[in-house]
Amino acid sequence: MEAVRRVASLWRLHVLVLAFTIAAELVGIVKIPIGIGAILLLPLLYSFVLGLLANPNITALGRKFIGSDEVKAATPLIVIAIMPFIAKFGTTIGPAIDKIISAGPALLAQEIGNLGTIILAFPIAVLVLRMGREAIGATFSIAREPNIAIIADKFTLKSKEGAGVLGVYVVGTLAGTFIFAVMASILATTGLLDIRALAMACGVGSGSMMAACSGALTSAMPSMEEEILALAGASNLLTYATGLYIGLFVALPLVNWAYKVLRGAEDEGAAQRDSADKPANRKQEG
Amino acid sequence: MSAVTRPHIDLADHAAVLFVVSALCLVGNTVGPGNPIVGGLIGIAILYAIVMAGLALAKWVPFYLPSVAWISIVGIVITLPGVPGQEWIVAQTGNVNFLILATPCLAYAGLAIAREEIEIAKTSGWRIALVAVFVLAGTYLGSALIADLVLSLQGA
Repeated sequence: MEAVRRVASLWRLHVLVLAFTIAAELVGIVKIPIGIGAILLLPLLYSFVLGLLANPNITALGRKFIGSDEVKAATPLIVIAIMPFIAKFGTTIGPAIDKIISAGPALLAQEIGNLGTIILAFPIAVLVLRMGREAIGATFSIAREPNIAIIADKFTLKSKEGAGVLGVYVVGTLAGTFIFAVMASILATTGLLDIRALAMACGVGSGSMMAACSGALTSAMPSMEEEILALAGASNLLTYATGLYIGLFVALPLVNWAYKVLRGAEDEGAAQRDSADKPANRKQEG
Repeated sequence: MSAVTRPHIDLADHAAVLFVVSALCLVGNTVGPGNPIVGGLIGIAILYAIVMAGLALAKWVPFYLPSVAWISIVGIVITLPGVPGQEWIVAQTGNVNFLILATPCLAYAGLAIAREEIEIAKTSGWRIALVAVFVLAGTYLGSALIADLVLSLQGA
């Protein structure tokens, strides 16, 4: 009963979400053709934007509806609200188990592709944008909760590495669904890569990013919906199971090493100056 | 492992929140894709049961896996070919559009953005935003290219 009372006390929040869900679903999927393909706008993107617009921390309008206590209470709801979605994905994997098994080698191999964050983003962060050790936290993973835990454990979140991982976490939270919807819809409509490969790549260990990604793929290719969902869901499950360990034992040591290679001598001087200012902030290396 | 603290799961709390979320999903599933309300209701009730079973496993199984992983596993196992009732479960959950299930969640996510997060976004600035785009593109392209390569090597 206590639990029911707690949920009921947030009725204003739930009513807003109800209104946003209805509005978003009534608008439905909108397709914007661009030169090389099309960008698909999905209802989940509208409901997110409506949520931002009604957020009292962001707009004055939002303060009319809900208070900052309710904003705080909304955070744990996100994780719970994605669970039926995860369950639905499970029910698409079971019946397609034969297809999953035949795609098994590709499915396993593409988990390594999650290290693409290091290959693509790390050199840009260090060499082009001239970032310091923030680059390590920012690029070793896609900065979801387990990855934040790794950085918090190794460097604390007050460190430069911590600032990096939190920065990407926030940007991913704010824009990740958009970025995935855009990437997936462009790649699916250009037809350069196998749609099943694009589906597997959707499983990055984030429910909302997977939703946007696989939603864009199924909207681009409705005839393959069942297979897309099964492969994306299977890949996401693999990432849930392996992501933490790959982050901890492969990605973080790799990016640490790469940082030393690219920045070695230059950074040592900086680190000494830093530690002379604030000895307590000295970071563990390696 | 020190990087993992096993979170406490309050089943009553989750059950109550999930009830509200499921109701929202049912409304969305009916107004959006126009699925039949009774079929949608049964489908969502099944998903509710899968989630609760997954949470119970996450709470009581002696080794740690995230609750979302347990929920996936329950969903997979009960829909495997040959499991009793499998066809019925697949047919009923087929009345629920998967995309609608993410719509309420993202509304909560938009409403949940805190002042601290806005501050982080402001102080980290444009460089971190740019890096984040490359991080997401890197993981997606990396995985997609490898999967595509292996699929074509397999000739599948």
